[in-house]
Amino acid sequence: MSQNPIEEKNASKNTFKKIAEGFSHIAIGMGTVAMQSTRDPVSTTYPDEMPTLYPTSRHRLALNVNPLTGEHLCIACKQCEKVCPDQCITVIPDPTAKGKVQEFYIDQGLCMFCGLCTEVCPTDCIINTVDFEMSDYSREALVYDIKKLTLKRDESEFYFQFKGLDLPKVKVSPVAKAEAKVEV
Amino acid sequence: MNPTQELLSNPSHEVSDNLKTEEMVINMGPHHPATHGVLRLKLKLDGEYVREAVPVIGYLHRAIEKQGEQRNYFNYQVDIDRVDYLAGMHNNEAFSIAIEKLAGIEIPERAKYIRVICSELNRISSHLLWIGTCLIDMGAMMGFPFYPFRERDRILNFLEEISGQRMMFNFIRIGGVQRDPSAEWLKNVREFAANEFPSRAREYEAIATENPIFIGRMKGIGFLPPSVALDHNITGPSLRASGVNLDLRKTADYSVYSKFDFEVPTATDSDCYARYLCRVREMYQSAKIIVQAIDALPEGPISGKKILPGFKPPKGESYGAVESARGNLGVYVVSDGTSSPYRVRWHSPSFNAVSALPYMLTKGGPGETNLRISDVMACIASIDFIMPDVDR
Repeated sequence: MSQNPIEEKNASKNTFKKIAEGFSHIAIGMGTVAMQSTRDPVSTTYPDEMPTLYPTSRHRLALNVNPLTGEHLCIACKQCEKVCPDQCITVIPDPTAKGKVQEFYIDQGLCMFCGLCTEVCPTDCIINTVDFEMSDYSREALVYDIKKLTLKRDESEFYFQFKGLDLPKVKVSPVAKAEAKVEV
Repeated sequence: MNPTQELLSNPSHEVSDNLKTEEMVINMGPHHPATHGVLRLKLKLDGEYVREAVPVIGYLHRAIEKQGEQRNYFNYQVDIDRVDYLAGMHNNEAFSIAIEKLAGIEIPERAKYIRVICSELNRISSHLLWIGTCLIDMGAMMGFPFYPFRERDRILNFLEEISGQRMMFNFIRIGGVQRDPSAEWLKNVREFAANEFPSRAREYEAIATENPIFIGRMKGIGFLPPSVALDHNITGPSLRASGVNLDLRKTADYSVYSKFDFEVPTATDSDCYARYLCRVREMYQSAKIIVQAIDALPEGPISGKKILPGFKPPKGESYGAVESARGNLGVYVVSDGTSSPYRVRWHSPSFNAVSALPYMLTKGGPGETNLRISDVMACIASIDFIMPDVDR
């Protein structure tokens, strides 16, 4: 079974030559390892130094508000709830007003950060932020409600810019439209 | 004459009848640090020699196939990165190809090129992790095994930038790809694949390939003759190290690989060292493909047909296969016309690799002899299986 060409080649050489060759190859290897010490370290010291994250990075889910008006962008269409593979999203629409959301729950402990909800959202409301530090002491604390999920206005502004999203159109209510018509 | 003197005076070093020996069953795993996950090997040992080896699998079973029946096509795409989490792009691509065949979706040329770039990046990253763990298994703990992670981290950063996550990409979608890469990304990847990676890969070769200790551990053990490898349906670099030149990128031509100039490295020794060489050489070829693909990247759309959650392919069945980092990865989908598959079946190369372990350990020595227990690690390391891929 030993028809290895290298083995046959080695057998013909004398022992001293083989030993010298072995040492030289080990020396080359050690030299390569030693060379690494002249380079800058590649590892980052995480808590002191934050890793580079990209606009596409998928981390903690959050809800956007309109950066221009501060209005909540969710229209309670329940697209994200339907598409979620883990069923970790619960949307409760406002029974009094159509197109408004009353309560919004995301179980961040169940979420697998696939980002499908952000793809189907028609108003760019639900987004993946770049915040990944969300450890907590209990599972219940990881179920975020709408208060914890909704971003502040300046944060929303940052994410709209960072992710290159189109700014939402300013909604004109039918009453205001009618008034504008009357004035004309 | 006492028994010790009797033993010493015995010139043939045979065990005398007075010494009682017996075979011993040792469980290696499921939490042995060198079994690459949760593989349990029941080894029957006669002293140092392995007389019988039985791999016990199933510790990482997550019912990926059953989940395919529960979820719709759109949702299931996020799960399939987990089949083989070191090479998620290949899983995505295999599933996408199967569904595209089924539904007759044409994918644009640009999407095909981007798929090639990402798949080859992922192949390099998978092989880099393999080199690191293989050297740890061989006892090279002098800090070197973490050097491949330096380049792997760069690749994972590239893949994170384009897909959003470091391992669960979900980037190659049915009908195309998820996102168009920016010009800067392409420039950086080209620079990495053309200059930085080959020079760094030569460093690992300088350390490991000719190292006499490494050769001593890897050479002449774990023989897997071509006939046995084909019987066990071994694919990928492990098969090519046995001298069988089978690569789906060349033979099946499922993407645009015919347009690139690359070689499929093969070896004829069919031992652990040959498998190491095949993988190392394959990384250079992958880098070569990436450079060519970026240079020839055509303009155009990235997705043929936008797949929505309510996507329903027609009734029928189809099979999509790609050359993954570990071999021939296939997925067989049966559709009954509804929005979720009737049956999904994954054919994973790692499962076949584990099935060849008993042969390698009991007949893998020179002249079909038994291997010793120290060689078990070399065999496990060299065939490069990954447990989530075995159990699914």
